[in-house]
Amino acid sequence: MKVLVIDDEEDVRYVARLSLGRVGGMTVVEATNGNEGIARARDEHPDFILLDMMMPGMDGAATFRALRADDATAHIPVVFLTAKAMAPEVQRLKELGARGVILKPFDPMTLADEIRAILGG
Amino acid sequence: MPIDEQERLAALARYAILDTTAEEAFDELVQLASTICAAPIALISLVDDSRQWFKARVGLDTPQTPRQISFCTHAIRQRELFVVHDAMADPLFADNPLVTDDPKIRFYAGAPLITPDGFNLGTICVIDREPRVLGSAQRHALTALARQVVVQLELRRQIAEKAIAEERLARVVEGSNDGFWDWNLVTGNMQLSERAMSMLGYAAGELEPHAEAWQRLIHAEDRAAMMHVLNEHLAGRREQYESEHRRRSKAGEWVWILERGKVVARDRDGRPTRMAGTHSDISKRKRAERELDRFFDVSLDLLCIAGMDGRFRRLNPAFQDVLGYTVDELCSVPFLDLVHPDDRASTSAEMMKLREGETTRYFENRYLRKDGATRWIAWTASPATDEGLIYAAGRDVTRAKFAEHELRRSEARTRSIIDNAPGGLITTDARGLIESVNPAAERMFGYSAQEMAGGRLDVLLDTTLDLQAALDRVTELPVRRRSGESFTCELSLFEFYAADDQRHFAANLIDVSERHVVERMKRDFISTVSHELRTPLTSIRGSLGLLASGVMGALPEEVTRVISVAERNSVRLISLINDILDFERLDSGKMTMQLRPTPLLRVLERSVESIAAVAQQDGVHIELHCNGASVLGDEERLMQVTVNLLSNAVKYSSRGDVVTVSASLEGESVEVRIADHGRGIPADQQKKLFRRFERADSSDARTKPGTGLGLAICKAIVEQHGGAIGVASREGMGSTFWFRVPAAGTPA
Repeated sequence: MKVLVIDDEEDVRYVARLSLGRVGGMTVVEATNGNEGIARARDEHPDFILLDMMMPGMDGAATFRALRADDATAHIPVVFLTAKAMAPEVQRLKELGARGVILKPFDPMTLADEIRAILGG
Repeated sequence: MPIDEQERLAALARYAILDTTAEEAFDELVQLASTICAAPIALISLVDDSRQWFKARVGLDTPQTPRQISFCTHAIRQRELFVVHDAMADPLFADNPLVTDDPKIRFYAGAPLITPDGFNLGTICVIDREPRVLGSAQRHALTALARQVVVQLELRRQIAEKAIAEERLARVVEGSNDGFWDWNLVTGNMQLSERAMSMLGYAAGELEPHAEAWQRLIHAEDRAAMMHVLNEHLAGRREQYESEHRRRSKAGEWVWILERGKVVARDRDGRPTRMAGTHSDISKRKRAERELDRFFDVSLDLLCIAGMDGRFRRLNPAFQDVLGYTVDELCSVPFLDLVHPDDRASTSAEMMKLREGETTRYFENRYLRKDGATRWIAWTASPATDEGLIYAAGRDVTRAKFAEHELRRSEARTRSIIDNAPGGLITTDARGLIESVNPAAERMFGYSAQEMAGGRLDVLLDTTLDLQAALDRVTELPVRRRSGESFTCELSLFEFYAADDQRHFAANLIDVSERHVVERMKRDFISTVSHELRTPLTSIRGSLGLLASGVMGALPEEVTRVISVAERNSVRLISLINDILDFERLDSGKMTMQLRPTPLLRVLERSVESIAAVAQQDGVHIELHCNGASVLGDEERLMQVTVNLLSNAVKYSSRGDVVTVSASLEGESVEVRIADHGRGIPADQQKKLFRRFERADSSDARTKPGTGLGLAICKAIVEQHGGAIGVASREGMGSTFWFRVPAAGTPA
């Protein structure tokens, strides 16, 4: 299973890479911002994208809309990663078409299982 | 006519003798004159302005003759006997018709009738038809007879005057309604007038005419005083006898009599022999006096008669009650001595006005009680300058003064509170028309109190306000300043009934716009900080978790332990941030509940499941008893509550303990109970548990991790469900936390 992690925080990307790769056994590719993420999504054809909500420049929501607008990436499930734990926020992301929402900070040992549950459900 | 002639005629008139019928005494006197003087004609002739009239006559038929031709006219100019020996030979009378014609007078002798006050009223005269002379004895006799005529006239006049006086007296007696008495002190006989008798209900003759019988009727209590005054008078030490006493009437009733009298006769040694006087029935006056006395005695107000000398003459008993002194004590000193030193000058000034005859309509001063306390007295007074007395009525107004003072103070205090209150306070009448506005409200709206008075409260609002609906609650309203600027006000409205018994409203207004800004900033700050903390914590917690799990490779035991400590505390920090965010959202109302029918069993099973790992690690067993009821609630939030309570129960349980989760339908609610067998919570700390940042025992913070917000969050969540939360616990016996939420329907 290939996952694209789009997050501007290198440390978060690193922990996510370890959690999903080493703990979860997934292939992890990364992007540091929205534009790069969109490009990598086209190139790498990931099974899903873990997209950070708050990023400088193009934020998560804009990136998501761009991914949806591109036929090459429109079908890829997106799970948002957000520090905003408020219910209305989560609701809004789901309404955008997100497959699921993972709240920061996550448990590195169970992150992969959580995402599998979201994608399988 | 000379002036003395006028006086003479007036004197004659006083005797009221002219044109009266014949009287024996006068007839006998002329008879005597005729005989003594051996004259055929004798007359008593009285000369008025036009004639001489004969009161008595002998030998003459005519009762009067014209004055011009009368001999007597000449006689009355004399003080002595007037004699004409031969009228024919006297040039004064020779032509007189009485001489030339009938009765052909030749001789005349008339003695003047001179009254004691010197007037010559006429004559007694003798007349003959022959010239002649009178012997000396005859002349003397005629002069003596003249004196006798005057005596008779005088006597007659006195009798007539006495009769008039008596008649007048009789009329007075009749009209006076007084009784009369006449007491013979020698015999004891007492004559009483009819009125004197009827005053006591006796008819004439019913009472023995004796002083003793009369005195027996006097009231025993009054007898001594009456006898004393009587004896004083009889002994000459008192000008007049006067006594007020009661006498028993025939019907047995007591009649108040004013008896007045005087000794009217004394014997040769000066001893009184007769007394006479009057009786007046003064029962009415006495009754009126008694009535006044009773009012005087029962009055709560102070009533007094004081002398112009500044001393009390008579006081009613109220003085004793109000001032604590006896009446005697009060009368023994100038009353100014009893007046509060600060009020003596004003009291003296008021006394001065009274002395000048001015009435005191209202005057207040302070008196000092015998015990030293101060009493405020309000006075009205009226002077009787003739008697040198002041009649005054006073009222103890101390309490009213005190109340008035208190009222003023209280009013001032209330006014001061209202004026200085930072919140706007506006009162309106029942219709919402503004009645009063405090300075804070003036500042708030930019209008003066006068400008706002009478206007509608609504005008200040950016919205219509239903006073009734807004009553007794706090409402936030958009309002508008005079400048047009809009701001938010917190309005608390309450009603009150003023002294006019009318309903009024009071609106307390607080400008909360600034507070709103601050609150929003605070929330934003908390939210931002919390979110910003999450990102670094994601890396920390993730890194530590990976290290601790061993996926990064095996680590020495000590390093693993250190890493675990770091990881555990990073998790704790995360839950603290979560709790703070939750609480902030609950506080600001941002946490919305999605209440829908939810199977309680699922909530409880998921909760138990999520805590299972921790419980297992701590060796605590969790038992779940639930019959499948449905509740109306937000599943995630109810889980949050249950997990919180469960994790507490596990946290405070010992290894091997059992925590029981059970649920049951209680009326229209479902109650969930989480019971542990831990150490329990002291009763005094149970209530505090649900307050933010409170923990049962603050020393727990070190040994049992937690934020102190968990139960406060649980309480807020349950209350947003319309439910309740609580704990039943006894120290050493474990605790049962419970919460109740509305049931969704009948148990499945």
